[in-house]
Amino acid sequence: MGEALEGLRVLDLSTGVAGPFCTKLLADYGAAVVKVEPPGGGDPTRQAGPFPNDMPHPEKSGLFLHLNTSKRSVTLDISTPTGQALLKRLLPHFQVVVESFPPGTLAELGLAYAALSAQQPALVLTSISPFGQTGPYRDFPFTENTVFALGGGMYREGLAGREPLKYGGQVGQYFAGALAAVPTLAAALRARFNGQGEWIDVAIMECLAGHPNQLSRGLAHAYSGYVEQRLPPHAPVLPGASAFAIGTYGCKDGYVTLLPLGERMWPNIVALLKMPQLLDDPRFATPKDRAAHQDDFDAIFLPWLAERTRQEVFQAGQAAGLPCAPVYTPADAVADPHFQERGYFVEMEHPVAGRLRYPGAPFRPRASPWRARRAPLLGEHNEEVYCGLLGLDQSDLVKLRGRGVI
Amino acid sequence: MDTLPLSGYRIIEVCEIWAGPFAGCLLGDLGAQVVKVEAIQRHYRGPLRPTAGRDYPDGQPGERPWNRNANFNALARNKLSVTLDLAHPRGLALLKDLARVSDAVVTNLAGGVPEALGITYESLQAARADIIYLAMPGFGETGPYRRYRSMGMTIDAITGHTALRGYPDEDLSTNSPVHHGDAVAGATAAFAVVAALWHRANTGMGQFIDLAQAEATIPHLGEIYLDWEMNRRNPRRWANRHPSMAPHGCYPCKSGDGPIRDRWITIACPSDQVFARLCQVIGRPDLGRDTSFADLLSRLEHREELDAAIQAWTTTQEAHDAMTLLAAAGVPAGVVLDGGHGLRSDPHLRARGSFELVTHPEAGSFPMAGPPWKLTETQVPTQTPPPCLGEHNGYILSELLGLTGADLQELEAQQVIGTIPLEGSDTGGVRRAQRTRAL
Repeated sequence: MGEALEGLRVLDLSTGVAGPFCTKLLADYGAAVVKVEPPGGGDPTRQAGPFPNDMPHPEKSGLFLHLNTSKRSVTLDISTPTGQALLKRLLPHFQVVVESFPPGTLAELGLAYAALSAQQPALVLTSISPFGQTGPYRDFPFTENTVFALGGGMYREGLAGREPLKYGGQVGQYFAGALAAVPTLAAALRARFNGQGEWIDVAIMECLAGHPNQLSRGLAHAYSGYVEQRLPPHAPVLPGASAFAIGTYGCKDGYVTLLPLGERMWPNIVALLKMPQLLDDPRFATPKDRAAHQDDFDAIFLPWLAERTRQEVFQAGQAAGLPCAPVYTPADAVADPHFQERGYFVEMEHPVAGRLRYPGAPFRPRASPWRARRAPLLGEHNEEVYCGLLGLDQSDLVKLRGRGVI
Repeated sequence: MDTLPLSGYRIIEVCEIWAGPFAGCLLGDLGAQVVKVEAIQRHYRGPLRPTAGRDYPDGQPGERPWNRNANFNALARNKLSVTLDLAHPRGLALLKDLARVSDAVVTNLAGGVPEALGITYESLQAARADIIYLAMPGFGETGPYRRYRSMGMTIDAITGHTALRGYPDEDLSTNSPVHHGDAVAGATAAFAVVAALWHRANTGMGQFIDLAQAEATIPHLGEIYLDWEMNRRNPRRWANRHPSMAPHGCYPCKSGDGPIRDRWITIACPSDQVFARLCQVIGRPDLGRDTSFADLLSRLEHREELDAAIQAWTTTQEAHDAMTLLAAAGVPAGVVLDGGHGLRSDPHLRARGSFELVTHPEAGSFPMAGPPWKLTETQVPTQTPPPCLGEHNGYILSELLGLTGADLQELEAQQVIGTIPLEGSDTGGVRRAQRTRAL
């Protein structure tokens, strides 16, 4: 069976998280992606880690290895005229270019979209940056936490009376990368049929402002002026509503998260607890009663949880029809029987980093399966690309290397 | 006239809440005709008789609150709505007729539900051989959890995101609920549909796509999984701090006016040089010269002292001014904007036209976020408003599928279609409400 994106050729000038995650999606599903890295250190994520035994090595950075599966790597210094000339010779071999330079960089190098599309009208250029190609924040430096804050998702997270909290890891940048892949591929598909090119401007801040969380809370505010504040733990989401069994709770050996789908699931909670008498208990008869007796409910629920493991609560909750899940660490997830049975985590052998297990397919197209391959060594495909595609020979490569162009 | 990238494709959306509907928004943003298949027997457009007004224009549910609900409308841009009772043979038959003239079907119904309704890939493929069918339940098509129920915050838990969050001096039970898995799954599903369209352009074949929301989300935390794999180390919780940047945090600014009075700014120093510039901006060049803070490790060690110095400055500053000053000096900084007024009034998003004024026939005119990308070379029309329940029954059933006015009247009489939801439709469905309360 072929791969979904056979025939798609992508020149990837991006570095960091968002751009490379976008091109990882394309590459892992069969696009031919050539990653262009600066000579010397390569993509800065080669220095990010994590590293085995915390010993930095540019071919053993966990973040790089994960983000750059299935890609080829060439080195190229595009700040030099020779580098720019080589890049221009590469471009006609690709339908899509993805980049994440500070806005204006490509234009300074003579590679603005207008210039590129004059040569290749069907070219799709995707530019990913923290704030986009235009606007007053365009040239602001960024990190995950600062762009996440500006995306509108931080203010409501955390506890009343304390500082707001960002989401974990670098999920803001990953999210922008995942979103960028959608119009990129759609534009490439259109170009196949009508030769129409596109320049796609992806701003991480704007991606976060368009996150379902911000869409929903934002529209509620636009409609009614409702302001979503940080709340005390286990507070009802609506005034006067009960918050029974909603949230993350400690149990015997860890934590579980539950979200009963509204007041109609009170019988499901009762079923979980195996306490049918609660259905006749006047303290819990109506939603209003349950809201008034939240503490009485907790006095029953918390000890019940304390006697049961995460897995026991998870299985019993699902049997009672409740959305719930254990709070996992990576150690838990890789050992979980469901992910194991689905073969979700996959091993890949890398010539320097060795055999490692990676997160697997984000989705499984039955007729065109995901087939990720290991991340490339720095400049591993210089010969294949410069000689194979552009017809350079070995002595050319030696000269270019000597001058630091590759 | 410009053609949007997915113009000419029709996508059926049988989805609820956030994850699936978000995918539909993105596909609609790109020009696909996205048809929400809803039902008067069951919907997620809020309570039939809401008691709280926060999700409604001016706090008023109105006569038809199901057409005025913010949580629904926020994820329904650029879509059409047809109602079909899929548990009725005629409703099911009409869905298959619609599938015959559609390119893809996206569903986030819980595992087992498509089978119960008869709307599996196999049954729709019988209607259209090259249909693309994407199912996106929490845990996928196979495996011990394939029938398990999930919501965004439970996906957050099982993928490891919950364990990364919260204040390190509080236990995990105080974590605010986060539904990031919905966002990731929706974005991933939209990509998956387009990938299948590319594949179909190559091969002429449609296919079934098995998307487990948990499996789509885990790659967004890849490096913490690699740390486990390499070092058998689970992540610490860093809250607003960072293991390889210091200072790095969230600092209070001068209080503001309006309903949101607390103002905050996030700041990060990814290098020694940036730290020195930060010290200049906050009027403490002495800290920048002090060798006790010269490198990352020493700044991590002295983080409380440095945070106090930064906070002493930020509390005297208006948040946006502080950000501008810091950014001009090359220091990453970001105001903590709230998701309502903060985002809509932000000067950068306003300059970029990120919000569009959308007029809805029953909810009124309000700003709504546009696509999360800009197609700079294509004339993209303003988004169409979220559909009212069954608003496009006439268009879909008559114009597309050729039914007559008499057909429609009969279907309405049989409650196969309609525009007014039935009792119990807002609490899991009329049939569930009709069943005796089970233990």
